[in-house]
Amino acid sequence: MYDCLITFRSVMPAQRAESVLHGQNVDCGVQRTPKWMENQGCGYSLRLGCANLPLAVQLLQKHNIAYRKLYRRSREGKLEEMQL
Amino acid sequence: MIYLDHGATCLNKPKTVLHAVRCALENCANPGRGGYGASMAAAKTVLRCREQAAQMFSCAPEQVVMTHNCTHGLNIAIHTLVQPGSRVVISGFEHNAVTRPLHYRNARITVAGRRLFDPADTLSRWEDALKQGQDAAVFTHVSNVFGYILPVAEMAALCRQYRVPFIVDAAQSAGSLPVSLDAWGADFIAMPGHKGLLGPQGTGLLLCGREPVPLLQGGTGSNSASWEMPDFLPDRAEAGTVNVPGIAGLHAGLVYLQQKGIETVHQHQTRQARRCADGLKKLGFQVFAGNSQSGTVSFVPPMDCEEAAQRLAWRGIAVRAGLHCAPLAHESAGTLESGTVRVSFGHDATPEQTGALLLAAGHLLT
Repeated sequence: MYDCLITFRSVMPAQRAESVLHGQNVDCGVQRTPKWMENQGCGYSLRLGCANLPLAVQLLQKHNIAYRKLYRRSREGKLEEMQL
Repeated sequence: MIYLDHGATCLNKPKTVLHAVRCALENCANPGRGGYGASMAAAKTVLRCREQAAQMFSCAPEQVVMTHNCTHGLNIAIHTLVQPGSRVVISGFEHNAVTRPLHYRNARITVAGRRLFDPADTLSRWEDALKQGQDAAVFTHVSNVFGYILPVAEMAALCRQYRVPFIVDAAQSAGSLPVSLDAWGADFIAMPGHKGLLGPQGTGLLLCGREPVPLLQGGTGSNSASWEMPDFLPDRAEAGTVNVPGIAGLHAGLVYLQQKGIETVHQHQTRQARRCADGLKKLGFQVFAGNSQSGTVSFVPPMDCEEAAQRLAWRGIAVRAGLHCAPLAHESAGTLESGTVRVSFGHDATPEQTGALLLAAGHLLT
């Protein structure tokens, strides 16, 4: 289940992140970032399972792919910003 | 038609390029704008091209900016490095894509190195000019008129030594000679997609060793709430919709070149250029040839150069005559008044092409 989101400033880093994670067999997909999350307007995110989030962040750092924020879906179904 | 005008554009593109363009036209929407399949497909297409180019030219994918042609890229680079009154050194063989933007910006231009096929002289003059103090340098890798291969690695090293930021025009070298942002330490390298890289017209690449100043402001699909252009590459230099079908074709061209090997392309081109030059000399033409030469040869016919090119065209040979948008190069070589007929071989260079040209050229003398 895709219960976590990593947001990026544009489509390119999101795609690169997807490619890197897929290379490590991490199930994920690129999507538009929900408007309310982006005060700068327009962005792309990577949806993935929260169980994979620590590995994902590690991989992004290793490959110098900058991300903006991390979100987790709460029990109530809302996406909430989180820190690792 | 025997097409020998690859210096202007590549005509006989690989079939994979045509297929890629068509496929993109049918399947790709606008990249970085939507979240649906066709928009993501477009984004993937553009990313693949950036990654292929990054691998080929030794840089990160983010440093590969999509442009409309080499001139566009050079204008972005010059807009970044050159202010009114800036002291700029250029070689004696620059194209109008370099000289016109510099002139427009009232740059104080020094022309250094005007001897054809003489890398030692070029380097000596280059260093002399740098020693005088320059704010920027712009130089071509290969002369589009004469095929002279300038010693760019050494010129780049001198620029770094004297701490002069520089731009390389790789219009005539990308796809047949090694081009490396990392190895040269260049601030910018500009190239067209439609010549040696075998892509469609309306494409180009600008490799950015530093952050460019935007030439165009507009939508990028990122940072939309801000009235400023994004402060990150490649978005900063890509306002508006990029030419996705063209980029798809360009990617196919890059893959083709990777498989064929640019060294192989270069060898085929230079072999035919040498045969061509030797053959034209034997026929009695004034030919410009030398050791540091690519697949391009210029010669002076015994009549008006445009008339000569037209007569060759009637015999099925496609070449370009005149000043080739490079009056500075002609001035350096002493052909500003006469112009030249330019023969430029491409990735598909063959002995048959050279034979056909020499046969037709022989008829110019009757």
